[in-house]
Amino acid sequence: MICGHCKQRPANVTVTQIQNEQKVERHYCEICAAQFHPFQFEASNEPVSIHQFISNWLNFLPASTTKEIKQATEKKTTNCPTCGLTYRQFLKQGKFGCENCYETFSGQLPQLLERIQAGTKHVGFKEQTISIEKIKYQIETLREQLQRAILAEHFEDAAKFRDEIRLLESKVNLGGEEQS
Amino acid sequence: MNIEHFLTNANPSWMRNEDDSDIVISTRIRLARNIARTRFPNSFTEEEAQGIEDELMNALFSHEKNPYHFSHFPIKDLPQLQRQILVEKHLISPNLANRKKIGSVFLTEDESFSIMVNEEDHIRIQCLACGMHIEDAFEKARKIDRYLSQHITYAYQERFGYLTSCPTNVGTGLRASVMLHLPALTFTKQMNALIQMMTRLGMVVRGIYGEGSENLGSVYQISNQITLGKSELDILQELRDVVEQVIKKEQSARKALLIRAPSTLEDRLSRSLGTLKYAKILSSEEAASCLSNIRLGVSLGLLEPISQSRLNECMLLIQPGFIQQYVGTTLQPAERDMYRAKLLQDKLRQQDESFNNGEKGEDSI
Repeated sequence: MICGHCKQRPANVTVTQIQNEQKVERHYCEICAAQFHPFQFEASNEPVSIHQFISNWLNFLPASTTKEIKQATEKKTTNCPTCGLTYRQFLKQGKFGCENCYETFSGQLPQLLERIQAGTKHVGFKEQTISIEKIKYQIETLREQLQRAILAEHFEDAAKFRDEIRLLESKVNLGGEEQS
Repeated sequence: MNIEHFLTNANPSWMRNEDDSDIVISTRIRLARNIARTRFPNSFTEEEAQGIEDELMNALFSHEKNPYHFSHFPIKDLPQLQRQILVEKHLISPNLANRKKIGSVFLTEDESFSIMVNEEDHIRIQCLACGMHIEDAFEKARKIDRYLSQHITYAYQERFGYLTSCPTNVGTGLRASVMLHLPALTFTKQMNALIQMMTRLGMVVRGIYGEGSENLGSVYQISNQITLGKSELDILQELRDVVEQVIKKEQSARKALLIRAPSTLEDRLSRSLGTLKYAKILSSEEAASCLSNIRLGVSLGLLEPISQSRLNECMLLIQPGFIQQYVGTTLQPAERDMYRAKLLQDKLRQQDESFNNGEKGEDSI
């Protein structure tokens, strides 16, 4: 069943009203229902769905801001070169089509992310960009250098190589992971 | 491992509650990942979808040093009822169960790990654990993540981290949640205010049985909302802090109930036990509420001991998919209510028998 108000989203809220002593049931989506009965929907059921968020944002912003956003999205008809998604389509469906969308819409993203996230920059674990095999090769090379440094009695250099090897070995053990 | 194993087991390891914690039921960690240079599931072709399935199969089955023993189930091969049971067991999402395009799930025998393929993202790694084991479950999920990343190149960018279909998951791709039983806070009507407070702290609160089930059985799932701009360890720590606060509040609400209205409370909880033992028709709401009361009664020592594991099992079994599987046929809602009552009575009788036989092992406290 679709929402009786916006006629777009699925209806998952039933509102029962008494009209002329008759019980009338109406079916709304959460967004429309929240607009009619905001006090009942303070706690959202879902972890903020992006299209809910965007719809609410567009609906509740002052007219001038909404107009600006509309103009900006209409003017900016850039399609993502990989999946063909436009920013307008993204706003409608709330989901990107591919990883390149993040690059294509990087201009608009910060203002969106600022509202739904704690920042606009990733500060968590870093994905290994160097393969384990590559790190192992680096370790081998450093071991050879370490041997040479010891033979030449360059102990300061040797200590440096040893530390580097330890660091790389810990990376291999962690699967190449490091935390920023 | 055969699909039957996953369908008939109503007592998975992550619900066995070895800690015998009476407030925290379980912990769930989910990591959302995508494969580099491949379009996301909402825009990819069937061929691309198949390519992702193949890549995961290759990563999880073809390598000698693979430490995991997953079983693989393409969703389209599963009848609707089987999918529903997997959803009720939290092993797949309703989204994957209803998916028209190619999608599948990898499960470990003990059901503590599941990897959903081609759901909203290409890969969703999930780790379930009983009780409150946030960091431990995360470490386990992260281990699979690291293993996969050795064989698969993830869509990852220095600036935005792990790239996901929805910007609500971007960055760490981490969603950590703890399932809690909060009957005293629900009785004393403190939950609404608490939910609002948690929302302000960037946490999301949902019911155990999915959307719109906030009050069902007084079981709530608290999870992080933020995935970008915070590190994984901070996200987990914040969730732990919030959950610990909520546990303290529940404990003091329980004490207050016991002090202020002991006989009313005991009457209410005992009536629930009576209902479960003798009712002939039970809706899922009533069953959940009675089970919640019994759990509270047992925890407060007001009712005869019943193990948390048995109660957890009952919580799973009252759901429509499980009841239909128990009976072995599809049922109309009214029929389900009758079988639900029967099923719970069978389970409680088993509990009584094992208790009377002095088997105080797994089935009693």
